[in-house]
Amino acid sequence: MKYSYFPGCNLKTNAKEYEHTAVEVSKILDAELVEMPVFNCCGTVHSMASDNTMRRIAPVRILSRSEEHQKELEDTNNTVVTLCSMCSSTLKVVNEEVKEDEEMLQKINWQLERDNLKYSGHSEVKHYLEILRDEVGFEEIVKKVKKQLKGMKVASYYGCMLLHPDKAKIDDSETPTVMETLTLALGAEVVDWPYFKTCCGSYHVVDKEDIVNNQILKITEGAKKRGANAIITACPLCAYNLDSQQVFLQKKGIIKETIPIFYFTQLMAIALGIKLENFEDHHVDPKPLLKSLGLI
Amino acid sequence: MSFEYIKIGKEEKEFISKIEDISGQNLYACYQCGKCTAGCSFSNQMDLTVNQVIHRLQLGQKEKVLSAKSPWVCASCLTCTVRCPRDIDVAAIMESVREYILRYEPERIERMKVTGEKAKNLPNIALVGSFRKNTEL
Ligand code: SF4
Ligand code: SF4
Repeated sequence: MKYSYFPGCNLKTNAKEYEHTAVEVSKILDAELVEMPVFNCCGTVHSMASDNTMRRIAPVRILSRSEEHQKELEDTNNTVVTLCSMCSSTLKVVNEEVKEDEEMLQKINWQLERDNLKYSGHSEVKHYLEILRDEVGFEEIVKKVKKQLKGMKVASYYGCMLLHPDKAKIDDSETPTVMETLTLALGAEVVDWPYFKTCCGSYHVVDKEDIVNNQILKITEGAKKRGANAIITACPLCAYNLDSQQVFLQKKGIIKETIPIFYFTQLMAIALGIKLENFEDHHVDPKPLLKSLGLI
Repeated sequence: MSFEYIKIGKEEKEFISKIEDISGQNLYACYQCGKCTAGCSFSNQMDLTVNQVIHRLQLGQKEKVLSAKSPWVCASCLTCTVRCPRDIDVAAIMESVREYILRYEPERIERMKVTGEKAKNLPNIALVGSFRKNTEL
């Protein structure tokens, strides 16, 4: 099975390992992520203003391009798959909006005409975690595990955009389980903790770092206190904030210990026997933990 | 104890309906239970809590709402939206206040000043997200 995969911007810049491990894993699981030949930025955040059509054009342009791509792929369905949770949420919301509002879709399609694009409104947007859960299945993943992640105590950090708003959620928005089940499938231990969806501060890192640091302190200390030795996430912005701001807090002497941040696909890659070599996206060095557990 | 006269005249009503137009929400659906504020990760950094913002909006108190820091502290996490027992898109109301301001004052963040080492390392989605929330461009 192949999927039309929309990478978004960050998977090409500071979340390269997320993409690399996801694509490798997707081949092993026969749920292959095939990159769309042409794509644009989705705008990151969906507009909540009811009268702003302009900010809904970019996501629809992606949906229409994915439809073209789906026609070229063999053994696929009407799905566009994302890895970044912000892309996922934005595309899902706008997809639902234009499905409900034909007039808006028509207006946006007029804008797309000059590129010979047209969105039919028939695609579904899925996050790769949904594909793993609903189409591959955790049993299948268990069967493919070559190296159990013994000794990894994982706190799953969903952040906001995998669970909010209702139009975009990939799981129950208050008690999600998809990342925990995946953790168990890989042979790691699940850490139960209350901060799984406490916002990391998001884009405030650009000009209101204090707000972000407050959140990162709460989240990472909360994970460590409950015995976690790793945090997993699906969002390049969550990952960046959790990772880089811990280093900042440590330099300031506010925290002593740091906790490594991984994309869920990195842990999958290790468990499925793919050799991980590149850790350059990381701020907190994850190698000491992985070495001590014999995982690299 | 202090008192304040509340006036809901033409100007107030116009403001209320503009906010309702932008957000697509009925401000009077809110019964001030405070659940949005209770769940907001950033309540402790806001000068008006989320339900207070909505209350001031219900009363059309434009100055108070437009001078509040809260809409700019909001990180659009949408927790309030998924939890409101009255099914109000609370985050959309916060966004409508930002939008109202940005339509008159289109650059809340000076993009050209985001430079240096930090800007180089920031994820694209942080920059795009921030600029989309803080500018009307
Ligand atoms: S949760 Fe909803 S009803 Fe309750 S105060 Fe907030 S906006 Fe109003
Ligand atoms: S969307 Fe804004 S106001 Fe609502 S809970 Fe999140 S940060 Fe608070």
